[in-house]
Amino acid sequence: MTIVLAAGLFALAAITQIWVAADPVIHVLVQFPLLGLSGYLLGRDRFIPGHWVGPALTLAIFFFLFWMLPRSVDEALANWQMHVVKFITLPLGTGLPLALSWKYLPPVLKGFLKAQCITMFGVLGFLYTHAPVRICNSYLVDDQIRLGYGFFYVACGLSIFWTIPVFTGRQTQVRRALQGTHLS
Amino acid sequence: MMEQTYPYKPQAGAVKLTMLLGGVVFLLMMVFGLALRATQGGLFEIDPAIFYQIMTAHGAGMVGSAALTGAAIMWYFVGRYVNLNAAIYWVFLGLFLIGVALILGSIFYGEFGGGWTFLFPLPAISGGAWDVEAAVAFCFGYLFIGVGFLLIYLDMGYRIAINYDGFLGGLGWRFAWSGNQELAPPPTIIAAASVIVFNSIGIVFGAMVLVASIINLLFPSFVVDPLMAKNAIYFFGHVFINATIYMAVVAVYEIIPEYTGKPWKTTRVFALAWVAIVIFVQAVYFHHLLQDAVMPDWALALGQIVSYASGIPLMAVTTFSLCVYVKGSGLKWDLTSSLLVLGVAGWTLGSIPATIDGMVAVNRLMHNTQWVPGHFHTYLLLGEVAMAFGFSAWLVRGKEQGIRSGLERFAFLSYALGGAGFVLVFLWSGASSIPRRWAIHLESWQFQDRIGTFFAAVAILGSLLIVSRYTLRLMRKGEE
Repeated sequence: MTIVLAAGLFALAAITQIWVAADPVIHVLVQFPLLGLSGYLLGRDRFIPGHWVGPALTLAIFFFLFWMLPRSVDEALANWQMHVVKFITLPLGTGLPLALSWKYLPPVLKGFLKAQCITMFGVLGFLYTHAPVRICNSYLVDDQIRLGYGFFYVACGLSIFWTIPVFTGRQTQVRRALQGTHLS
Repeated sequence: MMEQTYPYKPQAGAVKLTMLLGGVVFLLMMVFGLALRATQGGLFEIDPAIFYQIMTAHGAGMVGSAALTGAAIMWYFVGRYVNLNAAIYWVFLGLFLIGVALILGSIFYGEFGGGWTFLFPLPAISGGAWDVEAAVAFCFGYLFIGVGFLLIYLDMGYRIAINYDGFLGGLGWRFAWSGNQELAPPPTIIAAASVIVFNSIGIVFGAMVLVASIINLLFPSFVVDPLMAKNAIYFFGHVFINATIYMAVVAVYEIIPEYTGKPWKTTRVFALAWVAIVIFVQAVYFHHLLQDAVMPDWALALGQIVSYASGIPLMAVTTFSLCVYVKGSGLKWDLTSSLLVLGVAGWTLGSIPATIDGMVAVNRLMHNTQWVPGHFHTYLLLGEVAMAFGFSAWLVRGKEQGIRSGLERFAFLSYALGGAGFVLVFLWSGASSIPRRWAIHLESWQFQDRIGTFFAAVAILGSLLIVSRYTLRLMRKGEE
């Protein structure tokens, strides 16, 4: 079932390819997450030996940072090789290793990564809305600003999405989550 | 003395080291402050460029040490109720020291003198007084400190959420809503959870504007909206400096019951007061922008109204409760209890000139006068620092708890009276329209400056004795 769902998300990401050249918001904030999520679902119920957790997380962070670079976004539109790299590395280089490592991470590191993720979306929002030049050659300045606001909205949305369970979470639920991570 | 048992043992060693570092930095920064007042009083001369570097170091150093000691106090006492991760604290301390090194380097090597508030766009337009690299290093120093704080907040927040049915439970909001005493967390947990909420938000805004400032410094074509930057900086600055006192007051909740024999209870009023604090401490920051006529009217009105309101939870709950607990308890006045009670008194009294300055009509006249350092020195020097010194004295307490020697009495009196005189001169100078932050003062202002310098020296003498006593006792305990 999970594989079917992952395949479905991957297919959906492939369909959005029709619009990515025209709209950076669809490219970065719709297609990229769909690809990452499809890989995440593949690794959600799989386990790896403890000594693979660090490398897996490092790999996920590396590709996450790589696809945050405007140059990478441009290249993914300009040549077909990068096009293929995008469809391979976002699911298998970011989503999959993140899912494999996430369940083993200590809660404070998880919180730190979430906080870092929100901050980086905020910083990207600032960069894209304030840049005096076109950051991506493939997109217009207006689209760039729209993407910048998109980053802000994502940062706000993630803040709420990740904070509410911490406020309302019941002791038993949190403990159960802890047991699931083999940390209790 | 009341002895109570707790589920966990706090991380005493690291906290004792932190309080030593904090005490030494407090002393050094007080000497810097003395040099600033003496220069204004014409007692000796400092080049104005160096004056502003020392002023920046004094501001950043004092805020940093207040935050460091406040965090240590909170970490120590929260560690009585939940099982904290000791390694996280060492990482926090390491990040803090890296931040301090960057800040000191930027000031004394890079000659940065833009004030602790790094108000945009001043760091970028120094007129040749300092290089861009110095301003960038200063901002990075703050970022390191901010990351350290987020780490300890994450650990404390996570443990509180686990143990108290989510953060709403830890904040005491479930108890405040239902009145069910079984849901009532200890006062320390309520205070810690509240600080974690509002200070994390403040630090996020601070980080945001710091990164934006760094990008602007390195690539000036990335222009930040100055009003947006000012809002973010003052939101962060206001929340952060207030959080230092709210973290330190935990020492009062935990230590005073040992003297009075009555535990500090979590009542519904107490929990509701902390609900109000979480909201007010954030909403009140507009009172820093009362001179910015371009701000929306509602924001300035909110700043004034919440300024009136924000003193109420403090006075109605912590101060009133302290008076009730102390009255008739037979409390013995040793150095710890004297300093902790002084801390609450200084905090409370300091909120009065702060509220006055939070009124639009007054602020229009007083904002750039010494009234402002007058009020914040009251609740920092006689508030947070007094609580931190009181906690330090308690950490190295011996069997003679409850007894005050002649030297301890002298140390306390010189600290309290010197501090009181020092802040009163600031307020008097503010009321006389003497401007703040000026390196060179007119001759007609120097009478007050010199009196202020005298009281500062007396307060420093008291501080020196308190910190020396702590250091000696710490060394003696280490030998044992």
